[in-house]
Amino acid sequence: MSLPGNRTRVLCKFFAHGACLKGEHCEFSHDWKDPANNVCTFYQKGTCVYGSRCRYDHVKVAQPKAQASASSSTYPYQFGVSEPVSETADPGVIGELSASSRPYVASAWGEEVTGENELLNDVVVQARSTNPADIVMCSFAAAGNCPRGENCPHVHGDLCPTCRKECLHPFRPDEREEHKKMCEKKHKHLDALKHSQEIECSVCLERVLTKPTAAERKFGLLSECDHPFCISCIRNWRSSSPTSGLDVNSALRSCPICRKLSYFVIPSVIWYATKDEKQEIVDSYKARLRSIDCRHFDFGNGACPFGTSCFYKHAYRDGRLEETVLRHLGAEDGQTVIAKDIRLSDFLNRMRIR
Amino acid sequence: MVDFSRVQKELQECNKDINVSGISVNPKSDNLSNLIGTITGPVGTPYEGGTFKIDIDLPGGYPFEPPKMKFATKVWHPNISSQSGAICLDILKDQWSPALTIKTALLSIQALLSAPAPDDPQDAVVAQQYLKDYQTFANTARYWTESFAKTSSAGVEEKVGKLAEMGFPEALVRTTLEAVGGDENLALEKLLSG
Repeated sequence: MSLPGNRTRVLCKFFAHGACLKGEHCEFSHDWKDPANNVCTFYQKGTCVYGSRCRYDHVKVAQPKAQASASSSTYPYQFGVSEPVSETADPGVIGELSASSRPYVASAWGEEVTGENELLNDVVVQARSTNPADIVMCSFAAAGNCPRGENCPHVHGDLCPTCRKECLHPFRPDEREEHKKMCEKKHKHLDALKHSQEIECSVCLERVLTKPTAAERKFGLLSECDHPFCISCIRNWRSSSPTSGLDVNSALRSCPICRKLSYFVIPSVIWYATKDEKQEIVDSYKARLRSIDCRHFDFGNGACPFGTSCFYKHAYRDGRLEETVLRHLGAEDGQTVIAKDIRLSDFLNRMRIR
Repeated sequence: MVDFSRVQKELQECNKDINVSGISVNPKSDNLSNLIGTITGPVGTPYEGGTFKIDIDLPGGYPFEPPKMKFATKVWHPNISSQSGAICLDILKDQWSPALTIKTALLSIQALLSAPAPDDPQDAVVAQQYLKDYQTFANTARYWTESFAKTSSAGVEEKVGKLAEMGFPEALVRTTLEAVGGDENLALEKLLSG
Protein backbone atom coordinates (compact mmCIF):
# COMPACT_ATOMS: atom_id res chain seq x y z
CA MET A 1 0.00 0.00 0.00
CA SER A 2 2.86 2.35 -0.62
CA LEU A 3 1.15 3.26 -3.87
CA PRO A 4 -0.70 6.45 -2.91
CA GLY A 5 2.50 8.01 -1.64
CA ASN A 6 4.27 7.27 -4.87
CA ARG A 7 1.43 8.42 -7.05
CA THR A 8 1.45 11.96 -5.80
CA ARG A 9 4.99 12.38 -7.00
CA VAL A 10 4.02 12.58 -10.67
CA LEU A 11 2.62 15.82 -11.97
CA CYS A 12 -0.92 15.54 -13.33
CA LYS A 13 -0.95 15.98 -17.09
CA PHE A 14 -4.37 17.58 -17.01
CA PHE A 15 -3.37 19.93 -14.24
CA ALA A 16 -0.37 21.03 -16.28
CA HIS A 17 -2.78 22.13 -19.00
CA GLY A 18 -5.03 23.77 -16.46
CA ALA A 19 -7.85 21.34 -17.14
CA CYS A 20 -7.94 18.70 -14.40
CA LEU A 21 -11.56 18.00 -13.52
CA LYS A 22 -10.71 16.15 -10.34
CA GLY A 23 -9.27 19.04 -8.39
CA GLU A 24 -7.87 18.04 -5.02
CA HIS A 25 -9.20 14.52 -5.45
CA CYS A 26 -6.85 13.80 -8.30
CA GLU A 27 -4.47 10.86 -7.75
CA PHE A 28 -1.72 12.82 -9.41
CA SER A 29 0.24 15.67 -8.03
CA HIS A 30 -1.00 19.21 -8.48
CA ASP A 31 2.30 20.61 -7.35
CA TRP A 32 4.51 22.18 -10.00
CA LYS A 33 7.58 21.07 -8.12
CA ASP A 34 6.87 17.44 -8.88
CA PRO A 35 8.32 16.00 -12.08
CA ALA A 36 6.04 15.44 -15.02
CA ASN A 37 5.82 12.02 -16.57
CA ASN A 38 7.11 12.47 -20.03
CA VAL A 39 7.45 8.90 -21.25
CA CYS A 40 6.02 7.99 -24.61
CA THR A 41 3.50 5.18 -24.21
CA PHE A 42 3.65 4.25 -27.85
CA TYR A 43 7.41 3.81 -27.64
CA GLN A 44 6.85 1.42 -24.76
CA LYS A 45 4.68 -0.66 -27.05
CA GLY A 46 7.37 -0.53 -29.68
CA THR A 47 5.84 1.75 -32.34
CA CYS A 48 5.69 5.49 -32.15
CA VAL A 49 4.82 7.09 -35.46
CA TYR A 50 6.47 10.37 -34.48
CA GLY A 51 9.87 8.77 -34.10
CA SER A 52 12.52 11.30 -33.21
CA ARG A 53 10.00 14.14 -33.54
CA CYS A 54 7.89 12.83 -30.65
CA ARG A 55 7.47 15.34 -27.84
CA TYR A 56 7.57 12.53 -25.27
CA ASP A 57 10.71 10.78 -24.09
CA HIS A 58 11.63 7.64 -25.96
CA VAL A 59 13.10 5.62 -23.13
CA LYS A 60 12.35 2.12 -22.00
CA VAL A 61 11.03 2.48 -18.50
CA ALA A 62 11.09 -1.08 -17.36
CA GLN A 63 11.34 -4.50 -18.94
CA PRO A 64 8.43 -6.88 -18.44
CA LYS A 65 10.65 -9.17 -16.38
CA ALA A 66 11.63 -6.42 -14.03
CA GLN A 67 8.02 -5.33 -13.90
CA ALA A 68 7.00 -8.70 -12.62
CA SER A 69 8.99 -8.17 -9.45
CA ALA A 70 6.78 -5.11 -8.95
CA SER A 71 9.44 -2.71 -7.84
CA SER A 72 7.47 0.19 -6.47
CA SER A 73 9.70 2.79 -8.11
CA THR A 74 8.36 1.99 -11.58
CA TYR A 75 4.74 2.39 -10.58
CA PRO A 76 4.46 6.12 -10.78
CA TYR A 77 5.58 6.05 -14.37
CA GLN A 78 3.05 3.49 -15.35
CA PHE A 79 0.34 5.38 -13.60
CA GLY A 80 1.26 8.68 -15.07
CA VAL A 81 0.95 7.24 -18.52
CA SER A 82 -2.07 5.10 -18.06
CA GLU A 83 -4.47 7.43 -16.28
CA PRO A 84 -4.89 10.19 -18.84
CA VAL A 85 -4.86 7.83 -21.80
CA SER A 86 -7.72 5.74 -20.52
CA GLU A 87 -9.77 8.86 -19.87
CA THR A 88 -9.40 10.18 -23.34
CA ALA A 89 -9.85 6.84 -25.05
CA ASP A 90 -13.01 6.43 -27.08
CA PRO A 91 -16.10 4.98 -25.41
CA GLY A 92 -15.76 1.63 -27.16
CA VAL A 93 -12.34 1.00 -25.69
CA ILE A 94 -13.24 2.23 -22.29
CA GLY A 95 -16.13 -0.17 -22.10
CA GLU A 96 -13.65 -2.99 -21.74
CA LEU A 97 -11.67 -1.34 -19.01
CA SER A 98 -13.00 -1.79 -15.58
CA ALA A 99 -11.50 1.25 -13.95
CA SER A 100 -9.81 4.38 -15.14
CA SER A 101 -6.72 3.55 -13.14
CA ARG A 102 -6.06 0.39 -15.11
CA PRO A 103 -2.74 0.72 -16.94
CA TYR A 104 -3.30 1.07 -20.64
CA VAL A 105 0.26 0.04 -21.42
CA ALA A 106 -0.30 -3.30 -19.78
CA SER A 107 -1.56 -4.99 -22.92
CA ALA A 108 1.83 -4.61 -24.51
CA TRP A 109 3.52 -6.40 -21.69
CA GLY A 110 1.51 -9.56 -21.61
CA GLU A 111 -0.08 -11.69 -18.94
CA GLU A 112 2.36 -11.13 -16.19
CA VAL A 113 1.08 -7.63 -15.69
CA THR A 114 -2.58 -8.55 -15.55
CA GLY A 115 -2.14 -9.87 -12.05
CA GLU A 116 -1.00 -6.46 -11.08
CA ASN A 117 -4.01 -4.90 -12.67
CA GLU A 118 -6.26 -6.82 -10.43
CA LEU A 119 -4.21 -5.66 -7.52
CA LEU A 120 -4.62 -2.09 -8.65
CA ASN A 121 -8.33 -2.46 -9.02
CA ASP A 122 -8.53 -3.71 -5.50
CA VAL A 123 -6.69 -0.68 -4.31
CA VAL A 124 -9.14 1.60 -6.07
CA VAL A 125 -12.13 -0.24 -4.70
CA GLN A 126 -10.76 -0.01 -1.21
CA ALA A 127 -10.13 3.68 -1.52
CA ARG A 128 -13.67 4.12 -2.77
CA SER A 129 -15.16 2.45 0.21
CA THR A 130 -13.31 4.52 2.77
CA ASN A 131 -14.17 8.04 1.69
CA PRO A 132 -17.14 8.81 -0.59
CA ALA A 133 -15.55 12.07 -1.68
CA ASP A 134 -12.72 10.07 -3.29
CA ILE A 135 -15.06 8.36 -5.72
CA VAL A 136 -14.15 9.16 -9.26
CA MET A 137 -16.98 10.78 -11.13
CA CYS A 138 -17.80 9.54 -14.64
CA SER A 139 -16.46 12.18 -17.00
CA PHE A 140 -18.69 10.96 -19.85
CA ALA A 141 -21.82 11.58 -17.81
CA ALA A 142 -20.42 14.95 -16.75
CA ALA A 143 -19.91 15.87 -20.40
CA GLY A 144 -23.50 14.98 -21.21
CA ASN A 145 -23.79 11.30 -22.10
CA CYS A 146 -22.32 8.11 -20.67
CA PRO A 147 -22.45 5.19 -23.14
CA ARG A 148 -22.43 2.64 -20.31
CA GLY A 149 -25.41 4.07 -18.52
CA GLU A 150 -26.41 1.95 -15.54
CA ASN A 151 -23.42 -0.36 -15.86
CA CYS A 152 -20.88 2.41 -15.41
CA PRO A 153 -18.45 1.59 -12.60
CA HIS A 154 -18.01 5.29 -11.83
CA VAL A 155 -20.46 7.36 -9.98
CA HIS A 156 -22.71 9.53 -12.08
CA GLY A 157 -23.04 13.04 -10.73
CA ASP A 158 -26.27 14.79 -9.88
CA LEU A 159 -27.99 16.91 -12.49
CA CYS A 160 -26.90 20.55 -12.52
CA PRO A 161 -30.05 22.68 -12.78
CA THR A 162 -28.40 25.20 -15.07
CA CYS A 163 -26.38 23.22 -17.60
CA ARG A 164 -28.53 20.05 -17.36
CA LYS A 165 -25.54 17.75 -17.13
CA GLU A 166 -24.77 15.10 -14.54
CA CYS A 167 -21.73 16.88 -13.24
CA LEU A 168 -22.38 17.59 -9.55
CA HIS A 169 -20.35 15.23 -7.37
CA PRO A 170 -22.64 13.79 -4.69
CA PHE A 171 -20.02 13.89 -1.96
CA ARG A 172 -18.02 17.02 -2.67
CA PRO A 173 -20.12 19.98 -1.49
CA ASP A 174 -17.49 22.62 -2.22
CA GLU A 175 -17.11 21.46 -5.78
CA ARG A 176 -20.89 21.39 -6.25
CA GLU A 177 -21.26 24.97 -5.11
CA GLU A 178 -18.34 26.09 -7.22
CA HIS A 179 -19.79 24.45 -10.30
CA LYS A 180 -23.27 25.83 -9.71
CA LYS A 181 -21.89 29.33 -9.29
CA MET A 182 -19.74 29.14 -12.41
CA CYS A 183 -22.54 27.58 -14.40
CA GLU A 184 -25.05 30.26 -13.46
CA LYS A 185 -22.56 32.98 -14.27
CA LYS A 186 -21.85 31.46 -17.67
CA HIS A 187 -25.53 31.04 -18.35
CA LYS A 188 -26.26 34.65 -17.51
CA HIS A 189 -23.45 35.83 -19.73
CA LEU A 190 -24.79 33.73 -22.59
CA ASP A 191 -28.28 35.10 -22.11
CA ALA A 192 -26.98 38.64 -22.10
CA LEU A 193 -24.98 37.91 -25.23
CA LYS A 194 -28.08 36.58 -26.96
CA HIS A 195 -30.02 39.66 -25.97
CA SER A 196 -27.18 41.90 -27.12
CA GLN A 197 -27.29 40.47 -30.65
CA GLU A 198 -30.37 42.53 -31.45
CA ILE A 199 -29.01 45.87 -30.28
CA GLU A 200 -28.31 48.40 -33.00
CA CYS A 201 -25.88 51.28 -32.90
CA SER A 202 -27.73 54.55 -33.49
CA VAL A 203 -24.82 56.01 -35.42
CA CYS A 204 -23.91 53.41 -38.02
CA LEU A 205 -27.41 51.86 -37.84
CA GLU A 206 -25.88 48.38 -37.78
CA ARG A 207 -26.13 45.66 -35.20
CA VAL A 208 -23.10 46.09 -33.03
CA LEU A 209 -22.31 42.38 -32.74
CA THR A 210 -22.41 41.79 -36.50
CA LYS A 211 -19.42 44.00 -37.22
CA PRO A 212 -16.62 42.38 -39.24
CA THR A 213 -13.76 42.61 -36.74
CA ALA A 214 -13.72 41.52 -33.13
CA ALA A 215 -12.46 44.91 -31.98
CA GLU A 216 -15.56 46.55 -33.43
CA ARG A 217 -17.98 44.06 -31.90
CA LYS A 218 -18.17 45.98 -28.65
CA PHE A 219 -20.61 48.38 -27.14
CA GLY A 220 -19.57 51.78 -25.92
CA LEU A 221 -21.52 52.43 -22.75
CA LEU A 222 -22.05 56.02 -21.69
CA SER A 223 -21.80 56.62 -17.97
CA GLU A 224 -24.87 58.84 -17.68
CA CYS A 225 -27.46 57.35 -20.03
CA ASP A 226 -28.55 54.05 -21.55
CA HIS A 227 -28.35 54.54 -25.29
CA PRO A 228 -26.44 51.90 -27.21
CA PHE A 229 -23.59 52.64 -29.60
CA CYS A 230 -20.73 50.62 -30.93
CA ILE A 231 -17.44 51.51 -29.36
CA SER A 232 -15.85 52.70 -32.61
CA CYS A 233 -18.76 55.03 -33.45
CA ILE A 234 -19.03 56.68 -30.07
CA ARG A 235 -15.25 57.05 -29.73
CA ASN A 236 -15.06 58.45 -33.22
CA TRP A 237 -17.73 61.01 -32.41
CA ARG A 238 -16.24 62.04 -29.09
CA SER A 239 -12.82 62.48 -30.59
CA SER A 240 -14.04 64.69 -33.46
CA SER A 241 -11.96 67.83 -33.40
CA PRO A 242 -13.73 70.80 -31.81
CA THR A 243 -12.41 72.94 -34.65
CA SER A 244 -15.09 71.45 -36.90
CA GLY A 245 -17.45 73.91 -35.24
CA LEU A 246 -19.13 71.40 -32.99
CA ASP A 247 -19.58 72.33 -29.37
CA VAL A 248 -17.47 70.15 -27.05
CA ASN A 249 -19.72 69.90 -24.02
CA SER A 250 -23.19 70.24 -25.53
CA ALA A 251 -22.54 68.10 -28.60
CA LEU A 252 -19.35 66.02 -28.62
CA ARG A 253 -19.33 64.75 -25.06
CA SER A 254 -23.05 64.35 -24.77
CA CYS A 255 -25.09 61.36 -25.84
CA PRO A 256 -25.91 61.71 -29.56
CA ILE A 257 -29.51 60.79 -28.76
CA CYS A 258 -30.48 62.38 -25.45
CA ARG A 259 -27.61 64.90 -25.24
CA LYS A 260 -26.88 64.03 -21.66
CA LEU A 261 -23.27 64.83 -20.82
CA SER A 262 -21.11 61.76 -20.08
CA TYR A 263 -17.49 62.02 -19.07
CA PHE A 264 -16.34 58.58 -20.12
CA VAL A 265 -17.16 55.62 -22.35
CA ILE A 266 -16.97 52.04 -21.13
CA PRO A 267 -16.27 49.28 -23.64
CA SER A 268 -18.32 46.12 -23.14
CA VAL A 269 -18.93 42.95 -25.13
CA ILE A 270 -22.45 42.59 -23.83
CA TRP A 271 -25.32 44.98 -23.42
CA TYR A 272 -26.80 45.17 -19.94
CA ALA A 273 -30.43 44.71 -18.94
CA THR A 274 -30.42 46.27 -15.49
CA LYS A 275 -28.71 49.13 -13.69
CA ASP A 276 -26.84 46.62 -11.50
CA GLU A 277 -25.44 44.83 -14.51
CA LYS A 278 -24.26 48.14 -15.92
CA GLN A 279 -22.63 49.02 -12.61
CA GLU A 280 -20.88 45.66 -12.64
CA ILE A 281 -19.49 46.29 -16.12
CA VAL A 282 -18.35 49.79 -15.15
CA ASP A 283 -16.73 48.59 -11.94
CA SER A 284 -14.85 45.74 -13.57
CA TYR A 285 -13.65 48.09 -16.31
CA LYS A 286 -12.39 50.60 -13.77
CA ALA A 287 -10.75 47.86 -11.74
CA ARG A 288 -8.96 46.65 -14.85
CA LEU A 289 -7.67 50.13 -15.64
CA ARG A 290 -6.60 50.65 -12.05
CA SER A 291 -4.15 47.77 -12.42
CA ILE A 292 -2.43 49.46 -15.37
CA ASP A 293 0.25 52.06 -14.73
CA CYS A 294 -0.66 55.53 -15.92
CA ARG A 295 1.45 56.70 -18.85
CA HIS A 296 1.21 60.34 -17.86
CA PHE A 297 2.13 59.74 -14.24
CA ASP A 298 5.08 57.60 -15.37
CA PHE A 299 5.98 56.28 -11.90
CA GLY A 300 6.12 59.79 -10.49
CA ASN A 301 8.31 61.21 -13.26
CA GLY A 302 5.46 62.84 -15.12
CA ALA A 303 2.33 64.76 -14.33
CA CYS A 304 -1.07 63.32 -15.10
CA PRO A 305 -3.53 65.95 -16.32
CA PHE A 306 -6.39 63.91 -14.87
CA GLY A 307 -4.96 64.00 -11.35
CA THR A 308 -7.07 62.22 -8.78
CA SER A 309 -9.78 61.45 -11.33
CA CYS A 310 -7.41 59.33 -13.43
CA PHE A 311 -8.62 55.74 -13.93
CA TYR A 312 -5.10 54.37 -14.23
CA LYS A 313 -2.69 53.44 -11.48
CA HIS A 314 -0.55 56.15 -9.99
CA ALA A 315 2.26 54.27 -8.26
CA TYR A 316 5.97 54.87 -7.88
CA ARG A 317 8.58 52.36 -8.93
CA ASP A 318 8.79 50.90 -5.44
CA GLY A 319 5.07 50.09 -5.54
CA ARG A 320 4.08 52.95 -3.25
CA LEU A 321 0.83 54.56 -4.36
CA GLU A 322 0.67 58.27 -4.97
CA GLU A 323 -0.73 60.09 -2.01
CA THR A 324 -3.04 62.85 -2.94
CA VAL A 325 -3.82 65.46 -0.40
CA LEU A 326 -6.44 67.85 -1.63
CA ARG A 327 -5.72 71.41 -0.70
CA HIS A 328 -8.75 73.40 0.18
CA LEU A 329 -8.65 77.12 -0.32
CA GLY A 330 -11.07 79.62 1.08
CA ALA A 331 -12.40 81.63 -1.80
CA GLU A 332 -13.39 85.26 -1.45
CA ASP A 333 -17.07 84.49 -1.20
CA GLY A 334 -16.55 82.24 1.80
CA GLN A 335 -16.80 78.96 -0.14
CA THR A 336 -13.98 76.48 -0.12
CA VAL A 337 -12.54 75.32 -3.38
CA ILE A 338 -10.10 72.53 -4.11
CA ALA A 339 -6.79 73.97 -5.24
CA LYS A 340 -5.19 72.54 -8.35
CA ASP A 341 -1.42 72.48 -8.77
CA ILE A 342 -0.08 75.96 -8.37
CA ARG A 343 3.21 76.80 -9.98
CA LEU A 344 5.46 79.35 -8.39
CA SER A 345 6.05 80.95 -11.79
CA ASP A 346 2.33 81.46 -12.27
CA PHE A 347 2.07 82.98 -8.86
CA LEU A 348 4.96 85.38 -9.45
CA ASN A 349 3.58 86.41 -12.81
CA ARG A 350 0.34 87.36 -11.22
CA MET A 351 2.18 89.35 -8.56
CA ARG A 352 3.94 91.45 -11.14
CA ILE A 353 0.74 92.39 -12.90
CA ARG A 354 -0.65 93.79 -9.69
CA MET B 1 -14.84 58.76 -46.24
CA VAL B 2 -18.63 58.89 -46.10
CA ASP B 3 -20.24 55.88 -44.48
CA PHE B 4 -22.19 54.83 -47.57
CA SER B 5 -23.77 51.78 -46.00
CA ARG B 6 -25.40 54.07 -43.48
CA VAL B 7 -26.52 56.50 -46.20
CA GLN B 8 -28.03 53.63 -48.14
CA LYS B 9 -29.91 52.45 -45.05
CA GLU B 10 -31.13 55.98 -44.43
CA LEU B 11 -32.45 56.32 -47.97
CA GLN B 12 -34.31 53.02 -47.71
CA GLU B 13 -35.75 53.95 -44.34
CA CYS B 14 -36.78 57.41 -45.51
CA ASN B 15 -38.48 56.32 -48.70
CA LYS B 16 -40.49 53.69 -46.81
CA ASP B 17 -42.97 56.14 -45.27
CA ILE B 18 -42.75 58.79 -47.95
CA ASN B 19 -46.54 59.23 -48.05
CA VAL B 20 -46.83 59.84 -44.33
CA SER B 21 -43.91 62.18 -43.78
CA GLY B 22 -43.98 63.96 -47.11
CA ILE B 23 -40.21 63.78 -47.11
CA SER B 24 -38.18 62.05 -49.77
CA VAL B 25 -34.47 61.82 -50.44
CA ASN B 26 -32.95 60.78 -53.73
CA PRO B 27 -29.43 60.64 -55.02
CA LYS B 28 -28.59 63.45 -57.40
CA SER B 29 -26.27 61.28 -59.46
CA ASP B 30 -24.56 57.93 -59.05
CA ASN B 31 -22.64 59.37 -56.17
CA LEU B 32 -24.38 58.94 -52.83
CA SER B 33 -22.73 62.00 -51.33
CA ASN B 34 -24.87 64.37 -53.40
CA LEU B 35 -28.56 64.08 -52.63
CA ILE B 36 -31.77 65.96 -53.26
CA GLY B 37 -34.30 66.11 -50.47
CA THR B 38 -37.90 67.16 -50.88
CA ILE B 39 -40.16 68.46 -48.14
CA THR B 40 -43.71 69.70 -48.29
CA GLY B 41 -44.66 73.07 -46.83
CA PRO B 42 -46.33 72.70 -43.44
CA VAL B 43 -50.09 73.11 -43.35
CA GLY B 44 -51.30 76.42 -41.89
CA THR B 45 -48.22 78.38 -42.94
CA PRO B 46 -47.57 80.58 -45.96
CA TYR B 47 -45.57 77.61 -47.31
CA GLU B 48 -48.59 75.29 -47.44
CA GLY B 49 -48.95 73.47 -50.71
CA GLY B 50 -45.39 74.05 -51.78
CA THR B 51 -42.80 71.38 -52.47
CA PHE B 52 -39.35 72.48 -51.49
CA LYS B 53 -36.16 70.97 -52.82
CA ILE B 54 -33.10 70.90 -50.64
CA ASP B 55 -29.58 70.32 -51.85
CA ILE B 56 -27.75 67.88 -49.60
CA ASP B 57 -24.00 67.53 -49.69
CA LEU B 58 -22.52 64.88 -47.43
CA PRO B 59 -19.04 65.81 -46.19
CA GLY B 60 -16.30 63.20 -45.87
CA GLY B 61 -16.79 62.86 -42.16
CA TYR B 62 -20.51 62.10 -42.33
CA PRO B 63 -22.16 61.02 -39.98
CA PHE B 64 -19.65 62.61 -37.62
CA GLU B 65 -19.94 65.91 -39.45
CA PRO B 66 -23.27 67.54 -40.25
CA PRO B 67 -24.55 67.28 -43.83
CA LYS B 68 -24.42 70.50 -45.80
CA MET B 69 -27.96 71.49 -46.68
CA LYS B 70 -29.38 74.45 -48.54
CA PHE B 71 -32.64 75.23 -50.25
CA ALA B 72 -32.60 74.73 -53.99
CA THR B 73 -36.08 76.21 -54.15
CA LYS B 74 -36.34 79.91 -53.40
CA VAL B 75 -37.98 80.54 -50.03
CA TRP B 76 -39.02 83.71 -48.17
CA HIS B 77 -38.15 82.87 -44.57
CA PRO B 78 -36.21 84.74 -41.84
CA ASN B 79 -33.81 81.83 -41.27
CA ILE B 80 -33.23 80.96 -44.90
CA SER B 81 -31.28 83.17 -47.23
CA SER B 82 -33.55 84.44 -50.03
CA GLN B 83 -30.45 84.68 -52.24
CA SER B 84 -28.43 81.54 -51.62
CA GLY B 85 -30.88 79.24 -49.85
CA ALA B 86 -28.49 78.85 -46.90
CA ILE B 87 -30.22 77.55 -43.79
CA CYS B 88 -29.59 78.83 -40.29
CA LEU B 89 -30.31 75.86 -38.07
CA ASP B 90 -28.25 74.83 -35.02
CA ILE B 91 -28.41 71.09 -35.69
CA LEU B 92 -26.77 71.64 -39.08
CA LYS B 93 -23.92 73.41 -37.31
CA ASP B 94 -22.67 73.15 -33.74
CA GLN B 95 -25.52 71.03 -32.41
CA TRP B 96 -25.24 68.21 -34.92
CA SER B 97 -25.33 64.70 -33.54
CA PRO B 98 -24.42 61.49 -35.37
CA ALA B 99 -27.70 59.98 -34.19
CA LEU B 100 -29.52 62.45 -36.43
CA THR B 101 -30.19 61.38 -39.99
CA ILE B 102 -30.86 63.16 -43.24
CA LYS B 103 -34.54 62.54 -42.66
CA THR B 104 -34.58 63.97 -39.14
CA ALA B 105 -32.62 66.97 -40.37
CA LEU B 106 -35.18 67.53 -43.13
CA LEU B 107 -37.95 67.18 -40.56
CA SER B 108 -36.25 69.86 -38.50
CA ILE B 109 -36.14 72.11 -41.54
CA GLN B 110 -39.84 71.47 -42.07
CA ALA B 111 -40.42 72.47 -38.46
CA LEU B 112 -38.33 75.56 -39.01
CA LEU B 113 -40.66 76.57 -41.81
CA SER B 114 -43.61 76.55 -39.43
CA ALA B 115 -41.72 78.16 -36.56
CA PRO B 116 -39.36 80.89 -37.77
CA ALA B 117 -36.83 82.33 -35.32
CA PRO B 118 -36.50 85.97 -36.48
CA ASP B 119 -34.22 86.84 -33.54
CA ASP B 120 -31.47 84.69 -35.00
CA PRO B 121 -31.90 85.50 -38.68
CA GLN B 122 -30.08 84.29 -41.75
CA ASP B 123 -31.75 86.85 -44.00
CA ALA B 124 -31.94 90.21 -42.18
CA VAL B 125 -34.36 91.75 -44.70
CA VAL B 126 -36.89 88.99 -44.31
CA ALA B 127 -36.49 89.00 -40.53
CA GLN B 128 -37.07 92.76 -40.37
CA GLN B 129 -40.20 92.36 -42.41
CA TYR B 130 -41.37 89.45 -40.28
CA LEU B 131 -41.02 91.49 -37.11
CA LYS B 132 -42.32 94.83 -38.36
CA ASP B 133 -44.97 93.91 -40.90
CA TYR B 134 -46.01 90.31 -40.57
CA GLN B 135 -48.84 90.58 -43.10
CA THR B 136 -46.55 91.69 -45.90
CA PHE B 137 -44.12 88.94 -44.92
CA ALA B 138 -46.85 86.32 -45.08
CA ASN B 139 -48.04 87.59 -48.45
CA THR B 140 -44.53 87.59 -49.88
CA ALA B 141 -43.83 84.13 -48.54
CA ARG B 142 -47.10 82.86 -50.03
CA TYR B 143 -46.33 84.49 -53.36
CA TRP B 144 -42.85 82.92 -53.41
CA THR B 145 -44.33 79.55 -52.57
CA GLU B 146 -46.83 79.93 -55.40
CA SER B 147 -44.24 80.97 -57.94
CA PHE B 148 -41.24 78.80 -56.99
CA ALA B 149 -42.42 75.84 -54.95
CA LYS B 150 -45.40 74.74 -57.01
CA THR B 151 -44.32 72.93 -60.10
CA SER B 152 -46.93 70.66 -61.53
CA SER B 153 -45.60 68.18 -64.03
CA ALA B 154 -47.57 69.92 -66.82
CA GLY B 155 -45.81 73.16 -65.94
CA VAL B 156 -42.46 71.45 -66.27
CA GLU B 157 -43.27 70.20 -69.76
CA GLU B 158 -44.37 73.70 -70.72
CA LYS B 159 -41.13 75.20 -69.44
CA VAL B 160 -39.01 72.53 -71.10
CA GLY B 161 -40.81 73.24 -74.35
CA LYS B 162 -40.25 76.99 -74.02
CA LEU B 163 -36.54 76.67 -73.23
CA ALA B 164 -36.02 74.03 -75.89
CA GLU B 165 -37.56 76.44 -78.40
CA MET B 166 -34.83 78.92 -77.53
CA GLY B 167 -32.37 76.45 -78.97
CA PHE B 168 -31.11 74.52 -75.94
CA PRO B 169 -30.98 70.73 -76.18
CA GLU B 170 -34.00 69.22 -74.42
CA ALA B 171 -32.09 66.82 -72.18
CA LEU B 172 -29.89 69.64 -70.91
CA VAL B 173 -32.93 71.81 -70.29
CA ARG B 174 -34.52 69.07 -68.25
CA THR B 175 -31.50 68.50 -66.02
CA THR B 176 -30.95 72.22 -65.59
CA LEU B 177 -34.57 72.75 -64.60
CA GLU B 178 -34.28 69.89 -62.17
CA ALA B 179 -31.11 71.34 -60.68
CA VAL B 180 -32.57 74.79 -60.03
CA GLY B 181 -35.79 73.39 -58.62
CA GLY B 182 -38.04 74.05 -61.61
CA ASP B 183 -37.57 77.79 -61.79
CA GLU B 184 -37.71 78.82 -65.43
CA ASN B 185 -35.77 82.08 -65.11
CA LEU B 186 -33.01 80.53 -63.03
CA ALA B 187 -32.74 77.69 -65.52
CA LEU B 188 -32.41 80.15 -68.39
CA GLU B 189 -29.76 82.06 -66.48
CA LYS B 190 -27.84 78.89 -65.83
CA LEU B 191 -28.16 77.70 -69.41
CA LEU B 192 -26.89 81.04 -70.68
CA SER B 193 -23.97 81.12 -68.29
CA GLY B 194 -23.07 77.69 -69.63
